[in-house]
Amino acid sequence: MSEAAQTRLRQTNKTGRRNKGSRAPLSVNFPKILSVSNLHKSYYKGRMEVPVLKGIDAQLFEGEFTAIVGQSGSGKSTLLHLLGTLDAPDQGEIWFQDRRVDNLPARQQERIRNRDFGMIFQFYHLLPELTTVENVLVPRMVQDNFFQYMRNKKKYLDRAKELLDTVGLSHRLNHRPNQLSGGEMQRTAIARALISEPTVLLADEPTGNLDGDSGGEVMETLLNLQRTESLTIVMVTHDNAIAEKADRIIRLVDGKVE
Amino acid sequence: MYKLLLSWRYLKTRFIALASIVSVTLGVATLIVVNSVMSGFIGEMQDRLHGILSDVEIASPGLGEISWPELHVREIERIVGDDLQAVTYVVRVPALMNFEFRGRQWTQQIMLMGIDEKTFGQVTDFNPYLLNSNNRNAIDFQLNESGYDERIGECGWEYRRQKEENRQRIEEMIGGSMNVPTTEPVPDEQVAQAAPGTVTFAPLPSIAPTHQQDGELPQASPPGQQDPPVELSAFDPHADLRQHVSPEEMFNPARDQHTGIVLGMAIASRQFMDQEGERQELFMVRPGDDIQITLPTSGPTPSPITENCTIVDFYSSNMHEYDSTFAFMSLRKLQEIRRMIDPVTGSSTVSSIQVKLKDGADLDAVRDKLIAFFPPDQYPYVIQTWQDTQRPLLSAVNMEVTILNILLFLIIAVAGFGILATFFMIVVEKTKDIGILKALGAPSHGVMSIFLSYGVSLGTVGTGVGIVLGLVIVYFINDIAAAIQWATGREIFDPTIYYFSQIPTAVNPMTVFLVALGAVAIAVLASVLPALRAARLHPVEALRYE
Repeated sequence: MSEAAQTRLRQTNKTGRRNKGSRAPLSVNFPKILSVSNLHKSYYKGRMEVPVLKGIDAQLFEGEFTAIVGQSGSGKSTLLHLLGTLDAPDQGEIWFQDRRVDNLPARQQERIRNRDFGMIFQFYHLLPELTTVENVLVPRMVQDNFFQYMRNKKKYLDRAKELLDTVGLSHRLNHRPNQLSGGEMQRTAIARALISEPTVLLADEPTGNLDGDSGGEVMETLLNLQRTESLTIVMVTHDNAIAEKADRIIRLVDGKVE
Repeated sequence: MYKLLLSWRYLKTRFIALASIVSVTLGVATLIVVNSVMSGFIGEMQDRLHGILSDVEIASPGLGEISWPELHVREIERIVGDDLQAVTYVVRVPALMNFEFRGRQWTQQIMLMGIDEKTFGQVTDFNPYLLNSNNRNAIDFQLNESGYDERIGECGWEYRRQKEENRQRIEEMIGGSMNVPTTEPVPDEQVAQAAPGTVTFAPLPSIAPTHQQDGELPQASPPGQQDPPVELSAFDPHADLRQHVSPEEMFNPARDQHTGIVLGMAIASRQFMDQEGERQELFMVRPGDDIQITLPTSGPTPSPITENCTIVDFYSSNMHEYDSTFAFMSLRKLQEIRRMIDPVTGSSTVSSIQVKLKDGADLDAVRDKLIAFFPPDQYPYVIQTWQDTQRPLLSAVNMEVTILNILLFLIIAVAGFGILATFFMIVVEKTKDIGILKALGAPSHGVMSIFLSYGVSLGTVGTGVGIVLGLVIVYFINDIAAAIQWATGREIFDPTIYYFSQIPTAVNPMTVFLVALGAVAIAVLASVLPALRAARLHPVEALRYE
């Protein structure tokens, strides 16, 4: 565990911003939230095996901002996908909150993705047919069946508006993604990632497609959230300037942690 | 929730998908129209085919006869039991009809049916198709004073009297020019025919005019009738007879009729188009006219026998085959003419025994029971239901309907492939969105149901519009036919061929339901494959897709 992470943890404990009872008890000294061990993953191009991850061991701690850095093709996006249960490793284990998640049934993985993880992508990945506020509500719609959703709609809508206000988009509620700028779309995606009150925010180069100012705004939003919501953030980036803001850096070189 | 929202948004933003569903709409509409018109035709045709056919018939083949029909009926009553509603006898014999039209003699073959006045109408739908309203309840084979259908024009007793009067006037004029003494009465028709060679037959007609007086035709009293000649020719074979026949008993066309006969409308008339393109009906004979019928006598050596008949009514079932073939006469009268009544026992023979069953009775079962009782190897009878009689026609039409349905359903199936292709394109286009949804935790079956409900809604909309369109077309089919006829100048529906004045339609709710079900099923099936593909997409690969 890095020095920064421990500092971060102590601060969190001091300010007592922990409010989610379901989480690991505070008495644990190092509240590990995500950990991977001996992770291997290959892709196949035809018959040729292309190894991407070659035995990764890493731990992520609650409330920490971790940056995964590395060159293109070093496997950092693959690692993020594996952490987010979007893909299954060929070998190795992934643990989330004392639970092994890489071999869970699809239904439970979907549940974890929906409730415990918030995801942000380089290309925003908003649904073009939906308005800003509807895009933000999608995880809630996935979560509930029709009747539950209708019952909770008011609550969800208020929360979505609040989040959009937080990311500075309260004037764009009913715009379609194609009417938004890149930065606005990414901030919408952040609001969407937060609507389910997740534990971990997984971000795949969230500023990669934005100009300097917009990227700065997005980073500012994320760092604010980390502070105010005590969110665990895992961010893939190749931008060293951003990585320097992280509490901890995992540097991948050729499928291994450096 | 997201499933409904997304499939709704996809519907709203992708009108091209509606284009793929138009083919479903058209297919459904066509199926409904074709089925309605065909079942209308079949229904109408069956009604008309059934018209003068009884439910079950026990017939002697050819000109054969069934002796002791009363005994047969007793057995039939026992076999059929409660299902029996009515029984009648029919004598069926081919005959030649001879009549005069525009100064020429015309001969035509007909199928003469001797029917029982009381029971035939109970067994078949004969009476409603008669053109005289008085005959529709019960026919008595008597010429009527009035009540004839307007189509026929002049007919009935008034027409007969007028005709007789005209004939007499002409005869008078001819008689005058031929220097027949004015005191000479107008000769009887047959005598007139013989007149050229036998001018000396003057006294003969003397009796006829006296009838005319009895007929109370004021102007029909030729001079000199008070002065009946007495010097009959010595070689007059009927002289003896004439002396014994009182004037009242002599046949007078203005007052008397021969044996009553009902002709099929198409025997008596011809349809043609006049110069304005209007359909006209030309009647060669009318109720009130006399015709001669020549028919074979019964027994081992049939010989022709000719009977004078008076047309008393027309029969118009609009079934051309029947209307142009059948003529009807009183059963008893026909049996007398053909000598089918045994002078000793008084029992008569018939051609067939016709049976009417109660509604809902199983015709085929009754037929089989009757065949079992009258086994074909012992009784030379043909026992058939009316459907058996018309089997070739009915099965041909049914096959037509089946094939049309298969072909039209193939159209919808083709439309299904259109939907399949369109949906595949939409799934490909939406690959990234599917990845997003999966990354946000949407399960595979949820993603699948987006595309399935998309297909279901499109299929339902397409089918619904198709049903409405089809029903509207069926409702206005005759107007549409008229409009097309007006626009193209070609007649689409020719009533002279079909003998229907309008295109008959019958919407069968079950058919509509099945068509709708089939169309929706095809739309769903066509969207299953793309939906499955969407569900199987790997989220990481879907997200990488650009």
